Amino acid sequence: MRKGPNRPRIQRRTRNGLLFVSPWLIGFLAFFAYPFFATIYYSFTNFNGVQSPKWVGFANYTALFHDPLFGTSLFNTLFYTVFELPLSTAAALGLALLLNQNVRGRGIYRTIFYIPSIVPLVASCLIFVWIFNPATGIVNDLLNDVHIQGPGWFFSIAWSKPSLILLGLWGVGQPMVIYLAGLQSIPAQLYEVAALDGAGAWHRFRHITIPMLSPVILFNVILQLVACFSYFTQAQVIEGGDIGGPGTSTWFYVQYLYEQAFQFLKLGYSSAMAFFLFVISAIVMVLLFRSSSRWVYYASEG
Amino acid sequence: MSVAINRRTRHKLGASAGKHAVLILVSVVLGFPLLWMALTSLKTNHQALAVPPVWIPHPFVWSNYPDFISAVTFPRFVLNTLMYAATTIVGVCISSSLVAYGFSRIRWRGRDFLFKVMVSTLLIPFFATLIPLFVMYKRFDMVGWYLPLIVPTFLGSSIFSTFLLRQFFMTLPQSVSDAARVDGANEFTIFTRVILPMSKPALATVILFQFVYCWNDYLGPLIYIDNQVWYPVSLGLTLILGTYTTNWPWVMAAACAATLPIVVLFFFAQRTFIAGIAIQGTGDKG
Repeated sequence: MRKGPNRPRIQRRTRNGLLFVSPWLIGFLAFFAYPFFATIYYSFTNFNGVQSPKWVGFANYTALFHDPLFGTSLFNTLFYTVFELPLSTAAALGLALLLNQNVRGRGIYRTIFYIPSIVPLVASCLIFVWIFNPATGIVNDLLNDVHIQGPGWFFSIAWSKPSLILLGLWGVGQPMVIYLAGLQSIPAQLYEVAALDGAGAWHRFRHITIPMLSPVILFNVILQLVACFSYFTQAQVIEGGDIGGPGTSTWFYVQYLYEQAFQFLKLGYSSAMAFFLFVISAIVMVLLFRSSSRWVYYASEG
Repeated sequence: MSVAINRRTRHKLGASAGKHAVLILVSVVLGFPLLWMALTSLKTNHQALAVPPVWIPHPFVWSNYPDFISAVTFPRFVLNTLMYAATTIVGVCISSSLVAYGFSRIRWRGRDFLFKVMVSTLLIPFFATLIPLFVMYKRFDMVGWYLPLIVPTFLGSSIFSTFLLRQFFMTLPQSVSDAARVDGANEFTIFTRVILPMSKPALATVILFQFVYCWNDYLGPLIYIDNQVWYPVSLGLTLILGTYTTNWPWVMAAACAATLPIVVLFFFAQRTFIAGIAIQGTGDKG
């Protein structure tokens, strides 16, 4: 009885809903679904963008695994990710905790902590190249004052990646703000009850702050991971005179992909790299989501 | 009694001084690169390279700014960037608000599934779909100018904006839509006449973030813009770094000129900035 008159209404709603989201739906098909499957297809072909793709089976993939620079770029990217991810999480969380204290002038500190992250990325690269210049930069000058011989930073094979990590840590303002909002939404009475029970600062942090923040941590880690897998701009700008240098220490995965595609027009080969990147990041994301049920705490679930 | 209180306040004062000491130290470390940029931009090259370092420029070489600006057609870069930002802002405001409305104010089958699909595309690396896109734009003869970066924004490519607007639309009471519906308004009228006028703060956030995005975007223009005439500020900066590597005051003046508008904008719209970022992390995950 009740179903009858409702049906046209449900249909109308579905039609309206689809109409409203249709811009995205068209965009999704044209700018995401199509290129996604085309990437897979190209990866099995020889293709330079002009002549039509020629099927070569798994040749691109076998070539990939015999390409030392592919391995290097993958290693560099994983190296960056493995250090940047925990360090930036700790830094962002640490800064948020500092700002969450009840002190005067909190707003001013928050502004100072946040501003580096809104500096245009290319401008931050220029600043870091300058202050970390091994010969004329202020950082090595200051180190010199305390009798430390500063390293070559971006111009040293050993230090180029750590320098990029430092640059990344300077710009953690965004996750910091998200953590701060998360911290401020934790009910104060949780801490009060714990304090009455005699829980110390570390205990409260470990057993209240971390669990209550865990959904936000997951969110930030995901964003950070996506950014790490696509790490490009900073390395490209800073090592602009010698891309990937010094040596091959700053060849990052998508930089190599970019070069193969747009410098050498090896579109089949670079598509294989692109699809491989998708597979790796999909695996990592699945593992992350699987593990999240063990460490992410959603208050609504009790 | 009074001694006890005294001791407690003294203890409090000490703790507060300790907190400030830490906060100030961190502020100095984080603020130093920007300070040094600004100082260097006002020095002579000789002073910039001096050992031991000269802290305060003497004299202040304000002419570094007009000099670097005329050396690299910087105003042109700014103009290109503003054009890029303005067009994509129009695209994002139109398409993201429509899509966000469909994902929040109408209940329909498949809605939540499609929303999840949309959000999950954020997890896919940009480069996983780049190559066929480039081939496609090349075939349509769109490479060389901003069209490949503008067109998608009219088709809901800014998922961040859609997400933000959806979160906002969901906070608006259902009763405002129902009242309009009783008056015979259709969905589109409700969208344009009721929901959009109530959403000015959310739209302001979207506009602000889209502007900052365009101002900072390096990768998009790098891929699609090959003629220096059309360079945005970000590519212009790398041009300056490549051309005037030995003239650090100019390079820092350029970095400063690119940073200043964003920082000024931040001071005027601090609340919008912070709220826009915080909403991402604390909004529900669909």
